[in-house]
Amino acid sequence: MTITEARTSPVRDTRRPRRTDPPLKMRLRGAATPWLFLAPALLLFLYFKIIPMAQAVGMSFEEVRPFLGNTYVGGANYSEIAGSPDFGAAVWHTVLLAVAQTAGSIVLGLALALLLEGQTRGLWFVRSAIFLPVVTAMAVVAEVWRVMYYPAADGALNSVLSVLGMGPSEFLNSPDSSLASIAFVGIWRGAPYDMMIFLAGLAGVDRALYEASAVDGASRFRRIWYVTLPGLRPVFAILLTLAAIRGLRVFTEVFLLTNGGPDGSTEVLLTLTYKLGLERNELGVAAAGTVLLFAMLLVLTVAARLRRKEARR
Amino acid sequence: MLIHLRKPRGGRRAAALAAAVAMAAAAGCSSASSAKQDESKPLEVWIRQDAGSPAAESAEALTKAFTKKTGIKAKLVAVGVTDFETKLQQRTAQKNLPDIVINDTGQLGNLVTQGLVREVDRKGVVGGNEIVDRAWEAAQGFDGKYYAVPFNSQAFALLVRKDWRAKVGAEIPKTWNDLTKLAVKFTKDDPDGNGKDDTAGMVIPGTTTRGYLTWWFSTMLWSEGGDFVTKKGDGYVPAINEPASVKAVKKLQGMFCDSKVVQPGASTADSATTHTVFESGKGGIYLTGPYMLPRFDASLGKDKYEVIAAPPGAGGRAALAEGENVYLMAGSANEKSQQKFAEFAASPAGQKIGLGVDNGGIIVRLPVNIKVDGTAERRDPRWEVFQKVYDNAGRNAPNLPNWSNFRQISSEGFNGVVSDCSRDVDQAMDELADEFDAELKKQGAKAE
Repeated sequence: MTITEARTSPVRDTRRPRRTDPPLKMRLRGAATPWLFLAPALLLFLYFKIIPMAQAVGMSFEEVRPFLGNTYVGGANYSEIAGSPDFGAAVWHTVLLAVAQTAGSIVLGLALALLLEGQTRGLWFVRSAIFLPVVTAMAVVAEVWRVMYYPAADGALNSVLSVLGMGPSEFLNSPDSSLASIAFVGIWRGAPYDMMIFLAGLAGVDRALYEASAVDGASRFRRIWYVTLPGLRPVFAILLTLAAIRGLRVFTEVFLLTNGGPDGSTEVLLTLTYKLGLERNELGVAAAGTVLLFAMLLVLTVAARLRRKEARR
Repeated sequence: MLIHLRKPRGGRRAAALAAAVAMAAAAGCSSASSAKQDESKPLEVWIRQDAGSPAAESAEALTKAFTKKTGIKAKLVAVGVTDFETKLQQRTAQKNLPDIVINDTGQLGNLVTQGLVREVDRKGVVGGNEIVDRAWEAAQGFDGKYYAVPFNSQAFALLVRKDWRAKVGAEIPKTWNDLTKLAVKFTKDDPDGNGKDDTAGMVIPGTTTRGYLTWWFSTMLWSEGGDFVTKKGDGYVPAINEPASVKAVKKLQGMFCDSKVVQPGASTADSATTHTVFESGKGGIYLTGPYMLPRFDASLGKDKYEVIAAPPGAGGRAALAEGENVYLMAGSANEKSQQKFAEFAASPAGQKIGLGVDNGGIIVRLPVNIKVDGTAERRDPRWEVFQKVYDNAGRNAPNLPNWSNFRQISSEGFNGVVSDCSRDVDQAMDELADEFDAELKKQGAKAE
């Protein structure tokens, strides 16, 4: 923010007319230097991101037969995927899952952050312990939860439920509870991550405001509502954007826990794409699906940025 | 952020450079391997087995024996069981396929549609007349031409807990209804005697992944006289909403919803899960292939279970027959050696190595060559049950341009009725038939 101000400072303006332009060679060298430094990263990006992405867009207009050669089919892939009821259901499941996981993680993450904020000795240990799910590989997490969700009466979670006088639940195995069960795993894994970001945000809230509100006689809840939450607004903005993108891209946990089943009740955009592309070899249709997902993410990100800009003004 | 990046003066030049790099990269990608023949080129052989497994060892022994006999170099690559298709797709994208792929017969349609395999002249295969007809049938495409040389065949039979059957005092089931009754006893009568209600009669991989549920259900559907599609003239029509099929699907739904004889979590279980359910003593009846015998002998004990043929239903006896083919992949630089490898693999010498009698690495379950007596080689009468099922009741998947799509679609349809007990089977099968119809049209296999 200060850089633009420095650039437009009057000092530079008064000096500029006196200085002659440097020779062309030096100017070229000056221009090339940053690009040379960027070149390795840009080349990798180009090769591993930009080109494959462009190819995916190309594939979405073709019937893909890698060995025999692709044929152009126009928008047929798009009308096929957008017209299929599976796609509509997958979008709905993806949005539901994204909303539930984002909301759950943020609420739980904030609660954890408020509980675990501070310098007290030993807190670092609790914080690290709670953070563990984030660093554990998703494949391991999913396998552990599959075991815990075992739908028989003697399954791990069902035993706990029976102590409380509930259950047994079918969890992943019933179309009624499968999506909620996956969302729960997502929240369990996402909340500690959100907690860490909240903790960083909390450190930035002015202590004096807490003291002032305490002097004014504000209750604990009111202090959180009027001091903490407004102080955390930028954190919320970042978390919501990140979580929305993460939510729409959900794949690993669904793939490993249910792979879209039972009865397609947990089919999300990416598991559907995976099935179309790799199990049914309709790579063109699958590519159309991913392009649609990309478009959605793009719109969402741009909208979020515009909103933030608006809010700043 | 208000930081403005200075507009680079060399922008246009950088863009030109980037474009040049992109073009070079694209050119690099599109250069496909030419199929110029070179008989000294070693063969690359892929098999769908995990590296380091006994099965991979047998495949290694097979390739070595082939090299020893013919002098043609061959290198075996054991590509993992779970991501074989993905790996093959990657090589397809590079237009550089392995020379030989040993893979499921069910993949044939897929490979043919994508143009990944070469046609095989059945009459031109040395020793081709020693290969059983049913195995050849599984190497035949929708157009009637052959696209592979058979290597291995198998049929499915029931593994039943012998000790449990003695405990509940039941006879060997003679019909599918008997079988369901036995499953009820296994579920309700605490056959393992631990005082807990923790056993299931029927072990079913009910997930839609790789179409497992259809794979399991085929045997039952056909035994009850139902079918997925029926041949009519030059093409096919859906048969899954015919009365016999619907009746079979209702029985399947009943196992999940009324008698509740399946293991918990069946509707999302894959075969890795169901193997564990059976061997850990949580389930009593498991329809599977003979390749599981060595594992269950070790984990459960040979004396604990028996192998019986699936009983006849309303439609007589039928059991899913499958197997593996040796596919001669397209674009190979050594087509002559490709065929020689396939001939060797199907020959008595190749088949005997594949039996894996010594090392337990069974890549040939039931030999496709009539000159090899698998049961005698193995000295295990239980294999005879599988052999008889294959010979007398074995049934290949319908010969459609791409069966695997039907397997996928139907498993989703069946999964729907077993996960939602209130679903009307008649209506669900009508819907499935409509989906079949659309897929038949798409594949150009719809009867006029």
